[in-house]
Amino acid sequence: MRTNRTTTMVAILTTAFTLACVGVFLLVYVNLRTAAGSLQDDVKIMVYLDDRLSADSVAGVEQHLRSDRAVASLLFISKEQALGEFKAQFPSESHLLEGLGQNPLPASFVVALSPLFHSPDAIKRWAERMRQVGGVSKVDYNQDWIDALATVIRSIELVAIGIGVILSAAAVTIIANTIRLTLFARRDEIAILRLIGATSSFIRVPYLLEGAVLGALGSALSLVMLKCMYELFRQQMRTMGRFAGLDNLIAFFPPSVCLALIAVGMGLGVAGSFVSMRRFGGAKA
Amino acid sequence: MIQLIHVSKRYDQRLALSDVTFEIGKGEFVLLMGPSGAGKSTLLRMLIGAERPDEGQIFVQQKNVTTLKPSDIPYLRRKVGTVFQDFRLLPKKSVFDNVALPLLVQGTSPADIRRKVTEALRAVGVEHKRDQLPAGLSTGEQQRVCIARAIVNGPVVLLADEPTGNLDPALTSEIIELFKLINARGTTVVVATHDPLVMTQVNRRVLTLSQGRLLPEQRVMG
Repeated sequence: MRTNRTTTMVAILTTAFTLACVGVFLLVYVNLRTAAGSLQDDVKIMVYLDDRLSADSVAGVEQHLRSDRAVASLLFISKEQALGEFKAQFPSESHLLEGLGQNPLPASFVVALSPLFHSPDAIKRWAERMRQVGGVSKVDYNQDWIDALATVIRSIELVAIGIGVILSAAAVTIIANTIRLTLFARRDEIAILRLIGATSSFIRVPYLLEGAVLGALGSALSLVMLKCMYELFRQQMRTMGRFAGLDNLIAFFPPSVCLALIAVGMGLGVAGSFVSMRRFGGAKA
Repeated sequence: MIQLIHVSKRYDQRLALSDVTFEIGKGEFVLLMGPSGAGKSTLLRMLIGAERPDEGQIFVQQKNVTTLKPSDIPYLRRKVGTVFQDFRLLPKKSVFDNVALPLLVQGTSPADIRRKVTEALRAVGVEHKRDQLPAGLSTGEQQRVCIARAIVNGPVVLLADEPTGNLDPALTSEIIELFKLINARGTTVVVATHDPLVMTQVNRRVLTLSQGRLLPEQRVMG
């Protein structure tokens, strides 16, 4: 690396910018996924009961729900409570129900599922199961927006993966070219090493290490750049009245993820070196 | 020590070596003579596995070089010292470091490296230049350093490809005497050259190549 400082610095900076681009998508994806997870945590499922259900039958349904390990909490809303809530939420429309004579609103249980069952598929399966329980007339859980949320997250995941793969390939190419330049500059030395009995491993290992260092440095620098952009973004959000307070909802990568990203950078560097070294493999003098 | 059996090598339309067969015994000093393009360098490259013949077989210390796996070739080259016309010293490394290279690639301990390199430099008469860079040496000194590097790990065979090509007659004599000394210690020496002065200095076996073919052997009285 010392023999070609300028090329090395350019390679580190270019790798850093490339990986920073990947990092932006990754950061957006991670924060969106966290936000989506929080929203899903708040999902409440309405289990509506048959209108003519006896008190014993209602108790039976409640017992069934309480014994279900998927249920984290439930709240019973009687017909009278439902009517009271309707009137409180829609005071101007309450006269519509009075015209019907009897209370048309059913009793219901408001169910919150345990975290293990928060995925859209798990919610759907649970709801289907509940619909088969005697005394249950309807199960409602805002299926549309949950499905839409899952689709959005999946789409962002695919885009992030696609962009990540492309930009990672770019980083590997940048490092491979840098190592190739180093190999070319030292081709005479490599030829001499081969002639005096150096094995391919002896010749290759320093360049693989160089690639690893380039990748790690590029990755570390990209994290520094990302952190600066992240703090700048949060500062901007704080100054914009509409988004004030939202800056606390976004988070940077935790230290464990940062270390993992540096390790990935190192891996990309080794891959770049390996690609370059293939051309110089074997004992050809 | 070295056996070539019906070895031929072709580069496109040109026949570099044609049906070459000879044997060199342990401890021999052999001159490989011939004009430029006769096939001398090709032959020496084959002895270290840098080229493979199109036909025939080559044995060095009973090992068939023509069928060696690429991963085994470095271990063959550790037993064969090579000296080149253009020296091929690393310009940014000192004399000591250049000579130490063959020991470094074998994983020799630092203490042994120091001892062996010092011995090799002393044997060729450039121990006082150990800390200098090659650019600070004369042509003759550079070639001595190259020879020191070739003998530092005690090879069984020393191959020299036009080692006196860049040297004047006085230096040529010095280098040939050095090869004789090395040979006297038991190392098989093969010197490829087209320089008739070398022939006159060496009272040894001569193998002559002409247009890729081996001519009848002759012994030179020096």
